[in-house]
This record gives sequence, structure tokens and C-alpha cells, in this order.
Amino acid sequence: MIKAVMMMNTQGKPRLAKFYDYMPVEKQQELIRGVFSVLCSRPENVSNFLEIDSLFGPDSRLVYKHYATLYFVLVFDGSENELAMLDLIQVLVETLDKCFSNVCELDIVFNYSKMHAVLDEIVFGGQVLETSSAEVMKAVKEISKLEAASNSISLVPKSVSGWRGR
Amino acid sequence: MTGMRGLSVFISDIRNCQNKEAERLRVDKELGNIRTCFKNEKVLTPYKKKKYVWKMLYIHMLGYDVDFGHMEAVSLISAPKYPEKQVGYIVTSCLLNENNDFLKLAINTVRNDIIGRNETFQCLALTLVGNIGGRDFSESLAPDVQKLLISSSCRPLVRKKAALCLLRLFRKNPDAVNVDGWADRMAQLLDERDIGVLTSSTSLLVALVSNNHEAYSSCLPKCVKILERLSRNQDVPQEYTYYGIPSPWLQVKAMRALQYFPTIEDPSTRKALFEVLQRILMGTDVVKNVNKNNASHAVLFEALSLVMHLDAEKEMMSQCVALLGKFISVREPNIRYLGLENMTRMLMITDVQDIIKKHQSQIITSLKDPDISIRRRALDLLYGMCDVSNAKDIVEELLQYLSTAEFSMREELSLKAAILAEKFAPDLSWYVDVILQLIDKAGDFVSDDIWFRVVQFVTNNEDLQPYAASKAREYLDKIAIHETMVKVSAYILGEYGHLLARQPGCSASELFNILHEKLPTVSTPTIPILLSTYAKLLMHTQPPDPELQKKIWAVFKKYESCIDVEIQQRAVEYFELSKKGAAFMDVLAEMPKFPERQSSLIKKAEDVEDTADQSAIKLRAQQQPSNALVLAEPQPVNGAPSPLKVPIVSGSTQDPDSVARSLSQPNGTIGNIDPQIPSPDLLSDLLGPLAIEAAPEAVSTDQHGPIGAEGVPEEVDGSAIVPVEEQTNSTELIGNIAERFHALCLKDSGVLYEDSHVQIGIKAEWRGHHGRLVLFMGNKNTSPLTSVQALILPPAHLKLDLSPVPDTIPPRAQVQSPLEVMNIRPSRDVAVLDFSYKFGTNMVNAKLRIPATLNKFLQPLQLTSEEFFPQWRALSGPPLKLQEVVRGVRPLALPEMANLFNSFHVTVCPGLDPNPNNLVASTTFYSESTGAMLCLARIETDPADRTQLRMTVGSGDPSLTFELKEFIKEQLITIPMGSRAIVPAAGSGPAQPVAQPPSPATLADDPGALLAGLL
Repeated sequence: MIKAVMMMNTQGKPRLAKFYDYMPVEKQQELIRGVFSVLCSRPENVSNFLEIDSLFGPDSRLVYKHYATLYFVLVFDGSENELAMLDLIQVLVETLDKCFSNVCELDIVFNYSKMHAVLDEIVFGGQVLETSSAEVMKAVKEISKLEAASNSISLVPKSVSGWRGR
Repeated sequence: MTGMRGLSVFISDIRNCQNKEAERLRVDKELGNIRTCFKNEKVLTPYKKKKYVWKMLYIHMLGYDVDFGHMEAVSLISAPKYPEKQVGYIVTSCLLNENNDFLKLAINTVRNDIIGRNETFQCLALTLVGNIGGRDFSESLAPDVQKLLISSSCRPLVRKKAALCLLRLFRKNPDAVNVDGWADRMAQLLDERDIGVLTSSTSLLVALVSNNHEAYSSCLPKCVKILERLSRNQDVPQEYTYYGIPSPWLQVKAMRALQYFPTIEDPSTRKALFEVLQRILMGTDVVKNVNKNNASHAVLFEALSLVMHLDAEKEMMSQCVALLGKFISVREPNIRYLGLENMTRMLMITDVQDIIKKHQSQIITSLKDPDISIRRRALDLLYGMCDVSNAKDIVEELLQYLSTAEFSMREELSLKAAILAEKFAPDLSWYVDVILQLIDKAGDFVSDDIWFRVVQFVTNNEDLQPYAASKAREYLDKIAIHETMVKVSAYILGEYGHLLARQPGCSASELFNILHEKLPTVSTPTIPILLSTYAKLLMHTQPPDPELQKKIWAVFKKYESCIDVEIQQRAVEYFELSKKGAAFMDVLAEMPKFPERQSSLIKKAEDVEDTADQSAIKLRAQQQPSNALVLAEPQPVNGAPSPLKVPIVSGSTQDPDSVARSLSQPNGTIGNIDPQIPSPDLLSDLLGPLAIEAAPEAVSTDQHGPIGAEGVPEEVDGSAIVPVEEQTNSTELIGNIAERFHALCLKDSGVLYEDSHVQIGIKAEWRGHHGRLVLFMGNKNTSPLTSVQALILPPAHLKLDLSPVPDTIPPRAQVQSPLEVMNIRPSRDVAVLDFSYKFGTNMVNAKLRIPATLNKFLQPLQLTSEEFFPQWRALSGPPLKLQEVVRGVRPLALPEMANLFNSFHVTVCPGLDPNPNNLVASTTFYSESTGAMLCLARIETDPADRTQLRMTVGSGDPSLTFELKEFIKEQLITIPMGSRAIVPAAGSGPAQPVAQPPSPATLADDPGALLAGLL
């Protein structure tokens, strides 16, 4: 299970943080700071793995990727494959790149709500939900359309397909 | 998401803040604004509410508390329009804990959204439940979520979320998924074409099979099918191909699910799976594109795990090891890292160690990798693969690396090197070399355990002694040596320096000179060791060297008035003793051998290791015929081994009375020490200048001095009843005497003793230093108990007065007998009731400890910080305030520890200590000699290691401080139902109170006894 997704810049400012186990706000800050203090001392061209037991308890793993001014971090437990988690960061970044065409830190800073929407389409309750960035984009566009529609003509969105259950 | 200008403005304001303080001011302003708006519902449009709730989430991410807005976030969930509803769902799932009461209010809305016809609403609701749904949600929503997952009319977008939502509900409440009905559905789900739904369903399967693999055995072939579809047929839509690899996540999940089934029995399924695995193992190459590499190796490493799990044919195994061997030398750091990690896991499989050993030099190279993550993996692997054949190489590499390793790794490194050296030493002199090198290179990281251990080995192996002594001498020539090196070389040269006498530079006076050069550089705890060494050097010079004697006496004279009690005492005693000639030689004779025991180091390491590592090590340990160094079974010399003793001040664990007693024995020759000070016991001090763990002196104590908790010879509980004449078969003990006693130590009424004929209850009242107990002796039989006798054997510090007990207890009758107690001075000794009766022809006798323990004379007292700290500061240090690091504490959470303290009337004062890991406590002690006396205590715990803590205890009376400290320590270390001895303070004085336990230690072998004879 994925325990946390974090994005922070190279100064340690959090840009997005989502914890899939409930944590009080102070604890979240402590963890973000703790992770940053380890990350910022890592040289280039080393592995993307970190031992993080001291912060997140035993059997926790951390993978990160460093893009320009941002760190993308995933913390998870032993039930996930490390490299698959690293791939998932890549999916997230590629999706953001498509969303904002050449994403930069500012896009992430000022589209805070959209970031949440994107992340929720990729990671769901600590599990991998979707790995195709095309599918993620489709879902995110649908959401944007709904918002725009209800903003302009305040129409209750109609059901997308007939409900024939039960 | 669009058109929230307010949010953007706020974020940009925050970005413009120059410092944290400015940010806080801006955030406070915004929070004030949001609060006001939330209060004024009328002007709050849905748009504004949405904007504020987003701001709250942003503020929360910055680290500020936004609890006040939870209600507003939750209320948005029931908004009719999509944008508000979306915000409500997203923000609620980020901010709230699953037990939040507001969520209960929303549960109906959430359910309506899930069963409603609007798919976008369904998605939002599922996301909320999947992220923070708790048991309530699980109970009311699981069937609805299942329906969505298997519905053929729902879009994949909804179904994949339903699958993961169900996973969450199952985690919160396993009853959410009914095994019988669901197994078939689960299998059907795995036939799904849509990769998104399939990935989520496979995740769900992993959770289900990890709980109960048997029920889902029909899913096993389906997982293999998925792998065939992806890996062999490449039957995947383009958007699910990631860098040319068909959905690596789904492949990984399917293989992960398979690892929860113990085996694959169906031959055709097994064959199909092995074909796929073979393809993965062979068809993966390291390429230039990093992302492609990561993806293909994610699959490959999962395949390796599965192969290891399935215990494949040997050929395939060696193929795996070969692959791993390739990985640990590639350029790609991630693959190197995982290669090392998987090799360590591979160690658990038999037959591959030899192949792994071929890669030893490559692994050693990784120990120098620029990446600390990789270095740690390499260290783990080297540690795991070490055995007798390669220990020398590996340990020497570790030693070499030690000089350049970063500080964060040095401690682990030196511990591991020490353990390996001990476990697999090809010869003992090599072991000594390694440990001395360790101390030399990383003295700060060499714990006391490590050098104690080397001293034990040297003491127990005569062949080793000259070698160790000459090595120790060599290190002393170095210009700057670590203090631990001073300690260990001083100890060894004191004991065995005379073996070098013929070598140049090793005469007693030369040894003294070079050691004495170090004295000005060392700290207080090392000086006593040096003093002991000087005394031993002096003793070994035959014929006496007047020059040396003069120098050493000068040192003793100098420290005679040292402020440190330990140093002062040693100086005084050694000075006096060294004038005594022959007796001096006896007293300072060579240390006897240590009882063999399991290495505390290895034990420590086993406790620390994480499970995977540990099992690997254990497995290896079982296979390795290791050298005699590892002493598998501790041989208790006298009962169970006592816990680790603090060195040097070992004597201080003794009862202060013993000082008086032992001092009075040698005809007052050393009568100038105030016997009231709880200074260390003379005997044990002389016998064991270095009590390493339970040095043999622990044996001697039970003959000579009152026994502290530690030196107590342990008895089997049942033996508390000592049949006087013959074994009384007809009397059966009911309950555990020791347990009953310990329970009564913490409460004031209960059963003290019960057997098939009699029950003794006790009821007590305590006031100040007085206590009144009533013993209730009840005859359970229909015939009388005769020759009833109850005698009290009082310890020196209690005055006890028991009313006479009638000789006969009639059938079914109870007699009461009051017992008056007065506490004269602080002591942990316990009074004993010697109870006997005759039933028929059988004589039954029981020696029972009376729960008039130290804590009964404590009265709870809670202090405020204004009261506490001035008192605390007024107690300046020993002997009124004593500090000790206690190891081997049974791990307790802080609240539990506070309860324990309160239970023995040492009241914890919450909030006084600024560090939340510490406890401070206070109490009042009553005795005739001390009157009412305030006692203070402080416990500093280490959240990372609950088995050790530092304890400081202070009071206005030295012996009280000491006794209370020891009392608290006993409570923390023992599990208060264990088999502590029934026999208290068996002093050697005239009032020999109770039956001595039949001590297996014979007098002749016991140096303590010999010494006592001499004195």
C-alpha cells in the first residue's frame, strides 16, 4: 500500500502532500521535513531508493524522482514493487506534462485543485488506480468539462450512461 | 478548478512571504477571514464556500491546523452542483480521520451518491470511501460497492474505483466480503478485458488472498492467464504499454498475488507459469532508456521473487543468482540496489550460498558506492553471507571501510564487525586483533558490550592472555588512543601484564609509566580501572620494587580525597591492602573465569535485525558449524544469570548494610569509611573491579552480603514450600506464591498463600512509617490443623510484632492474627513469615514473604513545577541524587510506565518535564530514622529503544536514594510475577533468618568464600 505521495521543491516547500493513513497535521509536517532533509543531501546519479524506517516505521520504503526544481516522492510498504512505484511517479509526471504542456513548478503551485484531481485518478486509497496517462487525462478532462458546464449554465450534470442495476 | 481567483491570489501572497513569520501572519489573517465568513451563512455563496475550503486544504498542507472548517468541508458533500460536491469530497478525504463524527452525518449522502445514477457522483463518493472509509462505511456500503464492481452496465472508470473501494472496506472489516459468494465473482473479474479494471481487481485479489488463499484457489490459474496475456501475447491496448512493456504494474500485481499461494499443484498451470517466468528472466536486458529499464526490471525482480517463492528447479535458481550477479555490477544504481537486496533474500535459500560467494569482491566494491542506500544493502548482504570460510576477508574489509564510512553508519558497522568476528573467528587471537582495531578506529562507536566481551574471552582462554597483553601494550605506544582502548589495555595489562615481564619495555614499572601517562586524559569512570591496574602491577612485582611502590602509593594518596566516591574508595582500600603483604596477593589474585553465556552482542543483534534479515541469519547460524566462540547455552552457575551489571560501580548494587558488615570483619583495619554511605560493597569491589555481566562475584554475594535483586539466586516457585521432614504428597499448593506476593506488593488485601488445607489472607493499613496487618488463617478442612506455628523473621530495618497464633485451627474456622509493623530505615529487604502446621501426619512448612515492602511506606504526592524544580536542583549529586542507565527494561509505553509508578505510590507529575519522553515523579517516604522525606525521580526514556532508560533518583538521605533507585529498577526490569527468590537478606550475621537456599556453588570454588576465610 502507498502510504504517502509528496511533491516538494528543492527548498523543501511542500507543493502537494497526500497521506493515505490518517496523520495529524504536525506529524505530516514532521514527515515532510524529515524526507526533505534526507533528499536534499543526496547527490545526483545515485539510486532512487531511500531507507526511511526511522520516519515511517519498519517495512516502509521510499522512492523519489528529482525533476528540475521538484522532488516527487512515494512512500509505501513491502507489498509494493519499488521499481513499479518509480514507474508510477513517471506516469504522474507525464500526465502533468500533458495537462499543462511542459509542466513547471508554477503550474503545480497555482493549479492546486487540479493537482488533487489528477492524483486522485492515479492513486486511490493507497492503491494504484490507473497507469495509463491517456486514461487519466480523459477522466480529468471530463471533470473540467463538468465544472465549466455547471459554472456557466448551472446545469445539473446528466447521467453519462443509463443505470440498469439491481 | 477554473476561475478560483481568490485561491490563486492567496497562493501568490504566500509565495511572496519573505519568511515563516510573514507566512504565519498571512495565514492567520486568511483563517480569520474564513472563520468570519463561515459564521455568516447568509453571505456565503456556494462558490465562496468552495474557494474557502480549497484555501483551507492549502493552509493545511503548509502545516496549520484547520479543524474548525471540517464541518464546512463535509457539508459541501451534499451540495447539489458538481463543483461544490467535488470540493467537499476531495477536501474531506484529505482532512478527516475515519473516526470523525462528521463523517457519520455524511454517510447517507455518500450512499445516495453511490447508488444514484450519476456516474461522476459515484466516482466522487467512491473516492471518499476508498480513502477514508471506516467500519461504519464498511457495514453500510459494502453490498452497494460490490454491485458497482460487477455491474456490466457501469463504465470501467467507476468499476475500477469500486474495486479499490471494496479493498479498503475489506481492510477495515473483513466481513465486508463474503468469501463463499465472492470467490467465483473474483475469478470472473480476472477475465476482465479492461486493463484499468483488471489492475484494480488484481490489487483487490492480493488483499483477499493474503487473508485466505484457499478460498480463492480458483483465481490462481487466472493470474497465470493474465501473465500469459501480457507477457507472451502482448495483448494490451497501446495506452497500457509503458515504454514498450505491457502494463508492468499489472504483471507485478499478478505475480505478487501468486506469491500468496503456497504452491502450484496443477502441472499444466505450473508449466505455463514457468514458461512465462523463463521468458521474463531471459528476455530482459539493461538498455539505455532509464524508464524502460525501470519498467522491465520491475517485472524482472518480481519474477525473481516468485521463482524464489516457488522453489523452482535448481537450474532456474542458479540462473537467478547469475542474473543477480550481473545486476550488482551494472551501472544503473537502482538495479544494483535491488540486485544486492534480492541477493540478501536469496541467502535464505539453500544451495546458492556458494554461488553468491563468487561475487564477494563485487559486493565489497559496492561497500564503496557513492550511494548510501547501496552501501547499506551491501553491508547487509556481507553480514548475511559471512561464514567461517570468508569471515576474515569480510571483517577486514569492514574494518577498512570503517575509517572512511560516514558517521551514520559507523555504529552499525562496528557492531556488525564485532558480531561477525565473534561468531566466525578462525582463531581467537584474530578476534582480539579485530576488536582492538575496532576500538582504535571507531572507539566512539564501540559500545561497552564489545570490550567486555573481549575481556571475557581473554580471561577464559589462558593461551590468549600473553598475546592479548602484548597487543594491548603495542597500542599504548600510539600517541593518541581512544579512552576505551585505555580501559581495555589497562584491564588486560593489570591481569596479564606480568606475562610479558621478560620483553623489553614491559616491566611493571614501564607498564605503570606508560599507563600513567594516559591518566590525565581520561574521564572519571576510567580512573578506577587504572587504579585497579596499578594495584595489580604492584602485586605482581616480585621482589617488590620500592621505587614503583613509592610512585603508586603517591597516586593512591593523591586520590584518597577524590570527590568521586568510587575513586576515593579504591585509592584508600588499595593503599591499605598493599601494605598487607600476603593478604594483598590473595585479594588481587587473577580474576576467575567467567561463566559461559550467550554473547549479549549477538542477542542484541538478533533483537535489532528486521525479520527478513533475522531469519536469514538464524538459518545461516543453524547451518554453520561456528567456532567455539559462540556459546550457545548459557550455563547458569547459580540459578539464572543475573542481568547486565553496570561495570565499575558493580558494588553499588549491593545493600549498604553489607558495607558495614564487611568492613567490620577485617578487624577495623579499614574502618575509616563512613559505613552509612551507600558506597559499594568492599568484597565485590575487590573481587570484581570489572563486573562484566554476571562476573563470578555474583556467586559470592549470596554467602556474604545481603542480596540485591540481581544477585539473588533464583528458585523455582514451588520450592517456596520447604517440607520439613518428608515430601508431603497430600498437600497441594494452589496458585503461585511469588505472583501472590507481587500482587500484594501493589494492593493492601488479598490471599498470601493457599494450599489444599489452609488459606492465609492478608489485610493491611499503612500510616506513615507504621503499618497494621491482619493475617487471616483459615482451615479449609473438616478436621483440625494442629501444631500451627507462625514466626516472623524480621529484617534489620523493620520492627515486627505478631500476636500469638493458636496452636490449633478448628475445622472450617478462621483465626485472625494482627501484625504491627514499624519501618526504621529505608531498605528493600523483606520480612518472612515462617508458617507451619501439621495435617494428619504431614508437616507442612512455608516461608512466605510479607508484603511490607519499601513502597508501602511511600505516600503519593503530586508536585507542581514550582515545587519540584527547586527541590530537584537542591539535590546536587551523589550520594543524595543518583543516576543510572538501566538496560534490559521490559518495554512499556509511557502511559503504562506512569501507571506502574503510580501503582507503587511514586506519583507521576504530568507535564513537568518538557520532553514528552520523560517522566518525573515524586513521593514521600516514611521511616523512623528519616521521618517524612521527599523523594524525587526522573525517568528519561528513549523512544527508539524502550528496553533502556536513564533514571535519576534523589532524596535527602543517601541510603533512601539508593534503595528507592534499586526498588524502581527492580519494578522496571522484572516482570512482577517471575520467580524471584523467596529468601531475602540472608545475612551472615547472628540472626540467620531463614533457610538458606541450597546453594550449588561450593565453598571451595568460590573466591568470595576463600577471601572471607582469610579475612
